[in-house]
Amino acid sequence: MATQENNDDRIALLQGTLDLLILKTLLLGPCHGQGVARTIQRQSEEVFLVDHGSLYVALQRLEDKNWIRAKWGVSENNRKARFYSLTPKGREQLAEKTGEWRRLTRAMGLILDANAVLKGEEA
Amino acid sequence: MFKRKRSAEDFRAEIEAHLELEADDLRSEGLNEDQARWQARREFGNVRAAEERFYLKGRLVWLDKLARDLRFGLRSLCQSPGFTATAILTLALGIGANTAVFSVMNAVLLKSLPVADPDHLVYLRTSNPPHGTGTIDSNQTFSYSVYDALRQQGKGFSTVMAYVPLSNSKVAVRYGAQPEEAEGDMVSGTFFSGLGVNLPLGRGFNQEDEANHAPIAVLSYNYWTRRLARDPDVLGKTLYVNGVPMTIVGVAAEGFEGVEGGGSTDLWIPLQNRRELNAWGNPPDDGRLYISNPTWWCLRLIARLAPGVSRAQALAQLQSAFQTAAFVGLGGSPVAGGKPPVLSLAAAKSFRGYDRMYANPLRILTAMVGLVLLIALANVVMLLMARNAARQREFSVRQALGAGRGELLRQLLTEGLILVTAGGVLAWGFAEMATRLLGNWAQIESSLAPDKTVLLFTVGVLVFAALLFGLAPLRVALAGGAELALKTSAATSNTDAGKSRTGRIIVALQMALCVVLLVGGGLLMRTLRNLENTDLGMRVDGLVVFGVKPDVPSIAAGRAFYLNLLNKLRILPGVESVTLMEERLGSWSSDNSDMRVDGRLPNVANGASRTVRSNVAGPDFFTTLGVPVLSGRDFADSDTASSPHVGIINQEFANRFLPNENPLGHTIGTDNGQYAMTIVGVVKDHKYRSIDEEPIPMAWYEYAQIPIIGPMHVEMRVHGDPLAILPAARKALQQLDPNLPLIRPMTQRAQFETTISPQILFARLAGFFGFLAVVLVATGLYGTLAYRVSMRTAEIGVRMAVGARRGQVIWMILKDSLALTIAGVMVGLPLAMLVGRALASSLYGVRPLDAVTYFLAVVGLAAVALMASAVPAARAASVDPIRALRLD
Repeated sequence: MATQENNDDRIALLQGTLDLLILKTLLLGPCHGQGVARTIQRQSEEVFLVDHGSLYVALQRLEDKNWIRAKWGVSENNRKARFYSLTPKGREQLAEKTGEWRRLTRAMGLILDANAVLKGEEA
Repeated sequence: MFKRKRSAEDFRAEIEAHLELEADDLRSEGLNEDQARWQARREFGNVRAAEERFYLKGRLVWLDKLARDLRFGLRSLCQSPGFTATAILTLALGIGANTAVFSVMNAVLLKSLPVADPDHLVYLRTSNPPHGTGTIDSNQTFSYSVYDALRQQGKGFSTVMAYVPLSNSKVAVRYGAQPEEAEGDMVSGTFFSGLGVNLPLGRGFNQEDEANHAPIAVLSYNYWTRRLARDPDVLGKTLYVNGVPMTIVGVAAEGFEGVEGGGSTDLWIPLQNRRELNAWGNPPDDGRLYISNPTWWCLRLIARLAPGVSRAQALAQLQSAFQTAAFVGLGGSPVAGGKPPVLSLAAAKSFRGYDRMYANPLRILTAMVGLVLLIALANVVMLLMARNAARQREFSVRQALGAGRGELLRQLLTEGLILVTAGGVLAWGFAEMATRLLGNWAQIESSLAPDKTVLLFTVGVLVFAALLFGLAPLRVALAGGAELALKTSAATSNTDAGKSRTGRIIVALQMALCVVLLVGGGLLMRTLRNLENTDLGMRVDGLVVFGVKPDVPSIAAGRAFYLNLLNKLRILPGVESVTLMEERLGSWSSDNSDMRVDGRLPNVANGASRTVRSNVAGPDFFTTLGVPVLSGRDFADSDTASSPHVGIINQEFANRFLPNENPLGHTIGTDNGQYAMTIVGVVKDHKYRSIDEEPIPMAWYEYAQIPIIGPMHVEMRVHGDPLAILPAARKALQQLDPNLPLIRPMTQRAQFETTISPQILFARLAGFFGFLAVVLVATGLYGTLAYRVSMRTAEIGVRMAVGARRGQVIWMILKDSLALTIAGVMVGLPLAMLVGRALASSLYGVRPLDAVTYFLAVVGLAAVALMASAVPAARAASVDPIRALRLD
């Protein structure tokens, strides 16, 4: 139970980010959960270690919001898997969230860089 | 949600697929089969946690938890069916009794008259009727001339309404071929409009109907339903009231059954002016009906205050007009020294009759059932505490396994909720039944059905109980904490539980309340016994009474009819003697007026009452009743219309108006001096109107000598079962007139008992509640003690192992409950004395501090405590030391 509480904290922190990453990944085409995880990991140059449990819960949440849809299908190596794809609504959300994220990182960068300048002056 | 919910299985399958895909990838990166699988699973993390999060997501979590708590609660309650049944039954009894008493109280004391704007309605009252008048009730009835004068004033009141029963019980009604009896009132034309009663069918009366004495009738909704099956075509049909045809013109609103408590009016007709329909069913007095007799105060009046006029203002505007009207027909002014009557007004918001008769008893009953409820709630709380203390280890284990305090609280509340819900449903059933019984006993005919207020009251009690049951045991449940689970021995884990001080205090308080209830119930039961064993001053067994209402065109014909009837009844086999009377004994009815003694109104010392209660009696009256004639003689057949007028008085009359004289030979007569008679007998004081009355001066006229004759009651003294004579008597009566029924035939004892039916009801209920309290206290005590003993099993085992004898163990247990009993009695007795004082006005022949009652209550409680302790004590004594110590 203790683990669960910690998980909850991390989801709250990552929620927006993970959703955005999933949507972005699916922009490339339909993909199953494991593929999404691999792609995120690879494209972030292994910086992000995706918690798989959280990923599937997030996928389900996006599906419930009707941003993505899912269908059981067969993978390249002939395994049964659940394939997710973007809905039009998901595309809209991706654009919006990406903009939000850009603004956020820019603002963060401004503040952090300003601090660095201050520090530099002091030194 | 339009989509079908995704199943947990589907989610699991997806995760399985993920693990396989991941393993495939890992294998292609060079890991072997096992390593790949293991690595895939490791990278995924906690599969179960993901599944659980999926499960919880998008669900009404609280509903889910509630359902789970309910299931758990039910299961855990089912595991101890004894506890559950006891708790639910206790609750049902406690709450049911409260709901029942509250619904009666609600109907009787809290509900308003079913009329428009009852706040502005007032009953009219008078301090006293003027000398020289006859009344039905010396404070509540008025003459027609008073009614007429008040409504002519046109100020103070916007409407004055008069109403008067057509009979002092029921009146003969015929609709179609079937004759029957119903309660009928004559009312003024303003009655329905003034009260603001709706008529869903047809119309009410108007001034013209009253002025013309229109032969029309309005039925009550209840009568229309009961008797006419809500026939919508009833308007225009004919109803015969005392043989007079009346056209039905309306049906009154549902729930409206007149403005008097205690009865329910079935039909109303406008004020009439004919012999068959005189007020109260009386025969004409000297040829005069109520409407033309200003000295017969027989109408009840209710009025609506004019807008913006207070009661005091209305009185100020009307007092002088009232006092003038009061002396119409009496020479226009009070006799020397007489006080003029004073008009007063009483709020008519609730039912007059109920209020007076039941207000005090009902308040006391409410308090009593409140105490019963307290005891019941305390019982259940104690049971719960005991049960939860016994479950301490269960709670500890659950806490140790990670259940939060919140979860435990929720579970306890849920268990409380289940108990309360079950108890509440059962209680409602009980209450419905009990309310009906109460209504029957109290002869309250109007609706007692529980309404919204009652429901609210019950739900309030239930919610309170549910919270109490959840919260009270929580402390005990949590007291153990998680570490208790580590203590493995029963001998060490439960030693503290048996000593709960709260439990002891609750038991002692319960016992105190029990003493209060036992004393209250005991005092009332003794009152009841006293009333039932009251010496009526006559030999009441063997007497049977019935009414006769012949249609007699003249006084001579009436006398002949009754003489004939007497002669026919006397010769029936088994009949000892037969007599007649105008007012039936033990029916609350009486004629009250002043009487002249030796030609003038007697002087009475310092304002004492001059009122004499009189009756009209037939030959052998006192012989038949078994009332001793102290001097002189009884009425006899030889007293006839042509013989000298004779009268008989009681001791009280002689003592008050003819002190220190031989009353025989003195003349007494009506206060207007028109009729006089010679005293020929003095009889012993005896009960007349009711069982609990005090002696009052009485005088009897001889029926064949007075200038008035009407319906009479026949009293018969017979051998064997009194009621067995009725068929023969009916036959004899119908030989004289085949249409005449025996009216309300019953034994004289039963008739007298009707006068104490409220007291009987009150005492029975109080006794029942006392009994209920004792049962509850016994259960509670037994439960607590049994639990304490079971908690101390190990301790007792140790004591016995080191040499304690059985006697010592038993004494140890009994000592405990004895101490509780003594504490309870010490607290309870002073409380009981307070209650005794509050009951004083309801007691008869027993003092509020009656030592015997208190003694019996204490002894009763002690006996119950002893019995409730005996079983646990015996169990304690039979503890096998070896087994007790090995219990785990």
